[in-house]
Amino acid sequence: MEHLIFLKGNYKSLFYYFSLCSLWLIIFSSLSGTAFSATPERIVSLAPSVTEILYAIGLEDKIVAVTNFCDYPPQAKEKPKIGGMSNPSLEAVVSSKPDIVVMTTDGNPKEFEDRLKQLGIKTYVFKSRQLAELPEGIRELGMSLGAKEKAYKLAEEIETKLQKSEVRGTHPVDGSQKSEVKGKALFIVWPEPLIVAGPGTAIDDALQLLGWENIASDTGIKYPKYSIEEVILRSPDVILIGKSMGVDTKENSKGLLKKLDMLEAVKKGRVFYTGDTLYRLGPRIIEGIDEMAGYLNRSQKSEARSQK
Amino acid sequence: MKRITLLIIVSISILFVSVFIGPKFINPFNLDDTGRQIIFSIRLPRVLVSILMGSALGASGAVLQGLLRNPLADPYILGISSGATLMAAFGLLFGKIIFGLFSIPLLAFIGAIFTGIAVGVMGYKRGGLLPERLLLAGIGIGFLFSSILMLVMSISADEGLKRAMLWMFGDLSMADWLLIPYGFAFIFAGLLLSLWRVKGLNALILGDEIAHSLGFSPVKERLILFISVGLMTASSVSLGGIVGFIGLLIPHIVRYFVGSDCRFLLPLSALAGGTLLCMADTIGRTIMSPTEIPAGIITAIIGAPYFLYLLRKREIMGV
Repeated sequence: MEHLIFLKGNYKSLFYYFSLCSLWLIIFSSLSGTAFSATPERIVSLAPSVTEILYAIGLEDKIVAVTNFCDYPPQAKEKPKIGGMSNPSLEAVVSSKPDIVVMTTDGNPKEFEDRLKQLGIKTYVFKSRQLAELPEGIRELGMSLGAKEKAYKLAEEIETKLQKSEVRGTHPVDGSQKSEVKGKALFIVWPEPLIVAGPGTAIDDALQLLGWENIASDTGIKYPKYSIEEVILRSPDVILIGKSMGVDTKENSKGLLKKLDMLEAVKKGRVFYTGDTLYRLGPRIIEGIDEMAGYLNRSQKSEARSQK
Repeated sequence: MKRITLLIIVSISILFVSVFIGPKFINPFNLDDTGRQIIFSIRLPRVLVSILMGSALGASGAVLQGLLRNPLADPYILGISSGATLMAAFGLLFGKIIFGLFSIPLLAFIGAIFTGIAVGVMGYKRGGLLPERLLLAGIGIGFLFSSILMLVMSISADEGLKRAMLWMFGDLSMADWLLIPYGFAFIFAGLLLSLWRVKGLNALILGDEIAHSLGFSPVKERLILFISVGLMTASSVSLGGIVGFIGLLIPHIVRYFVGSDCRFLLPLSALAGGTLLCMADTIGRTIMSPTEIPAGIITAIIGAPYFLYLLRKREIMGV
């Protein structure tokens, strides 16, 4: 206490003293939040895409709870559940005693993060929303969770894939140069009412990457309710229909395809039913791009054949 | 009479013009293949469905407000729409295989009719349908069904189901020729039924005793009118889901122009309802193109301010 006595009466110095103390506290606490903290042992995932990444970077044993929607890899279904993405149960999260809760900006409410912070639970927000941001996002996530090596490896795999696809396609990952376009495509997420993949989705990114134009990329909405008339006017060369859980996609899209039957794409059988791997910005995106590229190439070949 | 003629002319010209307006204006005198396809397989069925739905809602709103002697009554207050939605959701959950392409509208119709019967049974006491009992039964059953629907939706991990429920919020984009004859038959039958008993409805508004002394049997009139409302509402919900505003406020707006005589109120509410929904759908598919805005949102946005203006200016059902 002697140094305090030394400051006696000198309020200005007292002020500096406390400022210094608090500055030190701030620096210390922020450092302890990142670099000095032990690697988390109990992780809660609040998004299916995050769960997939966590499994892919070898953290499956540390995951203590996931959302009701986390169904891949199949083992993820066995984990305890904490509710949906937009409405996770705070009690369930707290009672699973997590060291860290990993959430996304794409589907989890911001208020939930605030609530967790108030309760003193650490959160990690996975911010990647587009294909090009995914590798960096995985690296950062891996660093924070103590799985740097595997995360870097996975990120590199995805980067290589993106670059390879880019060679096959004509657009670079960031979509900067507008060069030759191979054709127009439409990705249908739900047929009745018609909802399609718009800008800002991994699907739109993948189409661009492979050198195709998404006819719904000017909507400004990620999953817009799209006009059927406009589909006819813009006449896509290929129509991709994404799988929906628990519904027979083919049966479900019959009505829509009947309305679109004058389109070349429908007449010449360039309508393809694809999996749901591109809906999630996770490790399976590689498979998704391959699958999409396969269909797009097939349609191009069939077009070339029909022109001969 | 001048006003009525004007209303009819304006309505018909709006209905006619709306066929050509959309994401792309199509010139009827210079039709190419694409234009023809858009008009015949997309816009025309859409316009027809919107007219059918809108007129069913407008007319059944007018009937119900008289039948229940309540200015707040609308076709959805009887719980018919919740029954339809619930059945449609079950249809989506358990697959479309049962009835093929039209299983959803069909299931919605079945759900609506059964709910209508249930409300009728609950509202039946002392040898007749009692207005207050009908209202309360409708509200009770409506709450029950919508909470079951919420339950199903919150425990199912099925994203598809949630998307499909958009259909319930007034989506006309999937309007199809094949459904129109059935929709037309049921709605027209309902409309004729209510027009046939329109004098009875006029009498009922004055009260059961007066109706009785005028030679009408309140019990019989109410039952027939209730059936006509059930038919119209059920068909309208199964054609394109739930569109708010029209059933509640179109009869009030029309009342400002033609008064409370149901002989004019009923057909003109049907006409105005059809016109408003058709106009709203045209705007919804055009202004933000290629993104579509559900017609149900537009009806209220253009209709509500006008209604409020009228409310400020004049009296409404005597208050």
